[in-house]
Parts: sequence; structure tokens; C-alpha cells
Amino acid sequence: MELVNVLVFGLVNSAVLALTAMGFSLTFGLSGVANFAHGGLYLLAGYTSWILANRLNLPFAVSAVLAVILAALLGALIYRLVLMPVRGIVLSEVIATFAVGVAILELFRWMGFVTYEFNLRPFVKGSVEIAGVAVDYQRILIIGIGLVLAAGLWYFTRRTRIGLALRGMAQDEYTALSVGIESDWAAALSLALGAGLAAVAALSILPLGIISINIGYDVLLIALAVTVLGGLESTTGLVAGAFILGYAMTFTSTYLGPQWMEAVYMAAIVLVLAVKPSGLFGKSKELEERV
Amino acid sequence: MLEVKNLMVFFENALAVNDLSLEVKKGEIVGVFGSNSAGKTTLMNTIAGLTQHMMHREQRKGGQRITISGEMLFEGEDILRAKPSRRVAKGIVLCRERHPVFKDCSVEENLRLGGYLRKESEIRERIRYAYDLFPPLERLKGKKAGMLSGGEQEMVAIGMALAARPKLLIMDEPLLGLSPAMQSEVVRAVREISRDGVTILLAEQYARPVMPVIDRGYVIENGTLIVSGTGKELLDNPEVRSAYFGV
Ligand SMILES: Nc1ncnc2c1ncn2[C@@H]1O[C@H](COP(=O)(O)OP(=O)(O)OP(=O)(O)O)[C@@H](O)[C@H]1O
Ligand SMILES: [Mg+2]
Repeated sequence: MELVNVLVFGLVNSAVLALTAMGFSLTFGLSGVANFAHGGLYLLAGYTSWILANRLNLPFAVSAVLAVILAALLGALIYRLVLMPVRGIVLSEVIATFAVGVAILELFRWMGFVTYEFNLRPFVKGSVEIAGVAVDYQRILIIGIGLVLAAGLWYFTRRTRIGLALRGMAQDEYTALSVGIESDWAAALSLALGAGLAAVAALSILPLGIISINIGYDVLLIALAVTVLGGLESTTGLVAGAFILGYAMTFTSTYLGPQWMEAVYMAAIVLVLAVKPSGLFGKSKELEERV
Repeated sequence: MLEVKNLMVFFENALAVNDLSLEVKKGEIVGVFGSNSAGKTTLMNTIAGLTQHMMHREQRKGGQRITISGEMLFEGEDILRAKPSRRVAKGIVLCRERHPVFKDCSVEENLRLGGYLRKESEIRERIRYAYDLFPPLERLKGKKAGMLSGGEQEMVAIGMALAARPKLLIMDEPLLGLSPAMQSEVVRAVREISRDGVTILLAEQYARPVMPVIDRGYVIENGTLIVSGTGKELLDNPEVRSAYFGV
């Protein structure tokens, strides 16, 4: 019984992790920028949608869409205002985006978003039994959203002109420039897409609990752990990293206790960086080439 | 079509292009010849706008100081400070040194990327043109460009530049690293591209293999123009002859 529990919830947790890290991984893969404001953007989308729905009484769907758009715009703005001047200096990129992320999170703390009243509505209510384990619809929906987004991104980057241009820019900047693709435009768009994905992840995952500032910091850690584990930028790596971490965390929390969960992803980051810095599924040269 | 006057390019204090003036007329095939680090690539990249881009990038992050000065007119428009995308839109397209391609993209995707700024119908027509010019490409269209041989990648790179529908095609050492057979294949393509109305500016270390197709040539050394003239005039200059023709 317990094992079935672990299997089912391991799957759900893995999907949650993959969705959480997807935007971070996409931005990194397309522009080489490690967006450390990822957690800030995630929570910004959560709180914004809460404010729009509860203070301005907008319909839930409208508030969700607006939150995603706002996050995407902010992503592009982060590139234009903060990253553009330091483009190519990796440490500065990390520090600058981290500062923006912290600023967003602490702004919400300062505005008083620290109590337990903030929670988002799930898209669907109710639950279903899978092999004797009750799983609520929202968790199943998360798996579905993850799959749909992955398919959508695949289509976008292979079949559309803009997606192809972003991939081209990621592979060889000067050749991309020589066919007329603009590098600042491509990078701003990569940031916007990643931020939009962070927002979609937030709106899907946050309804599982209450919203609190610390989630923002956890989300960044999760994104780092998953991408470092799976190998930066590769989609297979993202999925594999999410599954390994998802099951590892579910096992630990079931058999050792939930307080050990955080230790698992910290340990994963440290171990992978020590043993195989390119990630378990990354090609060994990827890190140096990209950064 | 293209007029470059008194162009100077500095990387920090090192002069890569020194007071260089050159002209390319519509319909011509013009060669730029010079040995290693003569400044050919810098000249080509500056005409295509890549040096300008690099200059901005370095400026922003307080890196290397790059200086570009002089005059550059394309069809009467001053393009010295224009963005690369603007120049591509105007019809200046560079096929870069060592024929880089998008390695993780298929051959067809590479060609599509070449036509990034063009209309869908035009892209399709240009891809057809590339396949007709280099028949082996059509067979390879689904393959990842990174898996191809150097010669095949060269065809992809040229096809990609052609997909951008250039008026002025700039080719930076198109023969570099190719077998003699592949070299004559590229020379044949150059002739055909030119016949289809594209003006061509190409850089090479040695002039001999492209001698049959060029109308005029410039010889540069350490960024400075040494001589210029028709192919025959260059051949008649004994110094140039031994250094750049290997005869
Ligand atoms: N980005 C750069 N930074 C500093 N110096 C550079 C840069 N690019 C070129 N140079 C210098 O400018 C000079 C001209 O180089 P360039 O690449 O234009 O020569 P080239 O004629 O293309 O040579 P090759 O035949 O080897 O390709 C060289 O001395 C080179 O070191
Ligand atoms: Mg060169």
C-alpha cells in the first residue's frame, strides 16, 4: 500500500518539479542566462493572480491570464534593464537576476503578504482514486499541463519561425546575426517565455497549498537542483532530473519524514556538481560552451 | 553598389583595417586577397555589421575597446552604424569564415533560418534554388547539419546565405579547408550565383583558384591596401604574383 502511494505521488511530485523548473531551463537553453529571478517571478504570478481575483474581483481565468502576461513582460524587462548591460558576464548575470528576485519577494513581504490567508483556487476540485490512492484532480491536471507545455514548446522551437530563430541564436550567435536575427530581441524573448512558464507553473502548483514568500526561494532551489541534476538546457535532462529528484524526495518523506526533503535536493546539487558537473544527462562540454 | 572609404578598425590599439577604401559595383565579383591576419575577416565582418555588434557588446560590459571609422555606403545609404539585421534586410549577406552552420538543426532548418527575414513563399523558392545549386543538399535535408562533412557544411552555409536573398553576397574564405574537387564545385557555384544577378565580394588567401571568376581584386597586408586591379593587373605585379598566386 505504502509503495503504491510512493509510486503515485512520486509521479505527481516529479511532474511538479519538472513544471517548476521548465521556465528556468528554457531560458537557460535559449539564451544562456541563468535567471535567478525565477522564484520571484513564480511568486509574483501567484500573488498577482490572488490580488486580481480577490481584491479586484476579476474572474479566475482572467486573473490567471493577466498574471502570466505580467510575468512575461517583467521577464523581458529584466533582460532590457538589468541583464543587457552585463550580458556575457555570468557572475554579474546571476547576481543581477538574483537581486531582482529577492526584490520582488521582499516587496511582497513588505506589502504584508505574510499571513495564511493567501491561496489560489484550483482549476478543478475533487479527486479520483488511482490504485487505491486518492489523488486530487489538480495534481493530475499538473501532469497534463506539463505534457501540453512540453509538446507546445517542442512545436514552437521546431516548427515556427520565431522558435527556430531562438534555437539558432542559442547555437551560434554570430551566424544568427548574419542571417538577420537580433540577439537582444532573442534574449528578451527567451526571458519572457521562461517567466511566462514560471507563472503557469505557479498558477498550477500553488493551489496545492498556501502561498508564502519562502516558496519563492524554494522554487529557485528546485529549478537549480533539477537542471543541475539533469544537465543544463537539455529537455531529456530536465525530465530525468525531475523524476530522479521527485522520487528521491517522495521516498525520503515517506520513509524518513518530510523534514528530510530539503536535504535531498541540496545533497543532489552538491553531489552532481562534485561528481559530474555537466549533469547526469548533459554532454560534458555543454557548461563551458554555453557559459 | 558598395562603397567603403577610409575604413579604420581598431581592436584596442591594434589596427586591423587601415584606411582602406574599396568599391564593389553591381554585378561584379570582387576578390580581397591577403595572408593570415591581413584583416580580411575584420573587413568582411565590418561590412556585414558583426564588428559593430561586437563593439556594442564590449562597450556595454566594459570589455575590449573596438573603434570603427570611415564611410560605408550601400546603394547610397550610409550603413556604417547599421545593425546587422538592417543590413541583411537591405541585401548584404555574409557567409562567414569556416562556414559555420547551426549544428543541432537539420539542413532544411538551416536553410529556413537563412530566410528568416523573408516571406514564407520566398523562403520556399530560395530553398529550391539552394537544392538546385547543390543537389546533394536535398538528399541531406533531414540530417543534422553538425553531422555533415566539412564540404557539405560549406554547401549548407552558402545555401543559408542565399536563402537570405542577398544582393551583395560576402564570402569569407569559401575555399578554406576544401578538397580540390570541392573547391571547383564552389567556384562553379560562385559563377552561377553571379550569373543569377547577385554581386559577390569574396576573401581568399590565395587568388589562384578564384582567378577565373573574379572581375577585380584587392590585395591587403596588415590591414592596408597594397594593390588593386583586374585579375590580369594583379598577375602582372611580380610581388603580388609570388605572394598570393603561388606562382
Ligand atoms: N575580436 C578581435 N579582437 C582582437 N583582435 C582581433 C579580433 N579580430 C581580429 N583581430 C586582429 O585583427 C587582425 C586581422 O585579423 P583578421 O581575422 O581580420 O585576419 P584575416 O585576414 O581574416 O586572417 P585569416 O586569413 O587568418 O582568416 C589580426 O591581427 C587579429 O589578431
Ligand atoms: Mg579570416
